[in-house]
Amino acid sequence: MNARVGDDNIVMRSLSQIGDCGLFLLQILAAVPRSLRHARETVRQLWFVGAMSLTIIMVCGLFVGMVLALQLYHVLSIFGGTAATGTVVAIAIYRELGPVVTALLFAGRAGTAITAEIGLMRATDQIAAMELMAVDPLAYVAAPRFLAGLVAMPLLCCVFCSLGIFGGHLVGVSWLGIDNGTFWSNMTATVDVWQDIINGVVWKSLAFGAVVSLIAVFQGYTAPPTSEGVAYATTRTVVASSIAILALDFVLTAFLM
Amino acid sequence: MNAAAPSDDTLIRIRGLTTVLNGKKVFDALDMDIARGKVTAIMGPSGTGKTTLLKHITGQMRGDAGQVMVDGRNVPELGREALYALREKIGYLFQNSALLTDFDVFENVAFPLRQHTKLPEVLIRNLVLTKLQAVGLRGAAQLMPSELSGGMARRVALARAIVFDPMLILYDEPFVGLDPIALNQVLKLIRTLNETLGITSVLVAHELEAIKQVADHIYLIANGKVVAQGDPKTIADDGSPWTRQFFGGEADGPVPFQYPAGDYAEALGFPGGKP
Repeated sequence: MNARVGDDNIVMRSLSQIGDCGLFLLQILAAVPRSLRHARETVRQLWFVGAMSLTIIMVCGLFVGMVLALQLYHVLSIFGGTAATGTVVAIAIYRELGPVVTALLFAGRAGTAITAEIGLMRATDQIAAMELMAVDPLAYVAAPRFLAGLVAMPLLCCVFCSLGIFGGHLVGVSWLGIDNGTFWSNMTATVDVWQDIINGVVWKSLAFGAVVSLIAVFQGYTAPPTSEGVAYATTRTVVASSIAILALDFVLTAFLM
Repeated sequence: MNAAAPSDDTLIRIRGLTTVLNGKKVFDALDMDIARGKVTAIMGPSGTGKTTLLKHITGQMRGDAGQVMVDGRNVPELGREALYALREKIGYLFQNSALLTDFDVFENVAFPLRQHTKLPEVLIRNLVLTKLQAVGLRGAAQLMPSELSGGMARRVALARAIVFDPMLILYDEPFVGLDPIALNQVLKLIRTLNETLGITSVLVAHELEAIKQVADHIYLIANGKVVAQGDPKTIADDGSPWTRQFFGGEADGPVPFQYPAGDYAEALGFPGGKP
């Protein structure tokens, strides 16, 4: 792939990678119907990338909510607006922090694991063995991991948001003394289901899930079959996913607002 | 009948296969016939493309020119579905075993059956245990690949390759890492599969003594062509420089031992290139 462009031209190399990644997405989408007969493998991957990521997502969600409430309480107290703490925590988490931080954590926890696993499968000829056993690796390896990431991300984002708001409640109500009724009533009165939850949590996390899963599977699938090649591919997954998440977040926010 | 179509007793017919990799001509109009129901060995110095030839037979690689006919079908022209249908009839033993590391030994051997059949679990179990018994590893059915020695992993891979009773088995370096007992058993197994089920076997190997025991026909390839062929006795008695050098293990001969390089004395830094 890289032979098409000079190694010294980083812009052309990046564009070439994006193009290859796009073509790879089409191959995966074409393989999705064939992957339905490997539903068990998809469920196994859903457990691996979803359920196994729960701990880090829950802990981080809790602390993000707690620190957000703490910061906001002190800033809002200057203007006598501490009653709005719950509202601002919820909007910040639903619209931005929930989907973005979940996606970044997902890329670090599950994306790297997917890349390393597929890269090692290629290096140890497991992918070639599947091809020779007439089992399509795109349908058995790539598509189930892509689908699992797509499904897991919104679910993980919901967990992150819930724990974040719970963390905000812990700090705001239990520690700093904001009235419990005020905290919840202001939040429920201000948060809009369509604008904040559907647009923020659902669409963004679906888009981030697709992008991170695609990058992780693509990097693993095209990793050179060496230990160094797998290591570089894993690093590229984190770097490319992080950039893609933040860039896509800006684009989506601009369109969805 | 097409001129390149195999006759009934020829399972694989290769005609004019030319392959260039990274500017190097790996095969130069190579011709080869693999007889149906026989054990054929492909030998040759390292880097002559023996494994590459297997990849052409399975459609993993396509040559720049020529035909690779397997069971009457030209492999480079097959579409995905037809190629996969052909591969279901081919067993392949990898150099490094290529076991699926997420599955235990039993599930590795059962993998092709689960993917391509809807056999009842009892039948799958019996088939897998039969194949594992044949390679002497029935007792290791619950072990993970990481718990196996290299030789054991090779035998599990062999059980997986024969679980479908294929028409053709391609063995890529099957004897490497086997102790004498396992080697003898694998040789017997190859022979038994060939004699009882009529499975055609193609072996890529360097162990001449082992090959002599099991092969019906030997091809020696070098410089992209077949340089000698025949039954083991014919090959052993062949006095050509190729066979003399390869089977005698001589450094000097038509196959250079040294990879092409510049002047040795100059590389060592002697002035004027002279020691």
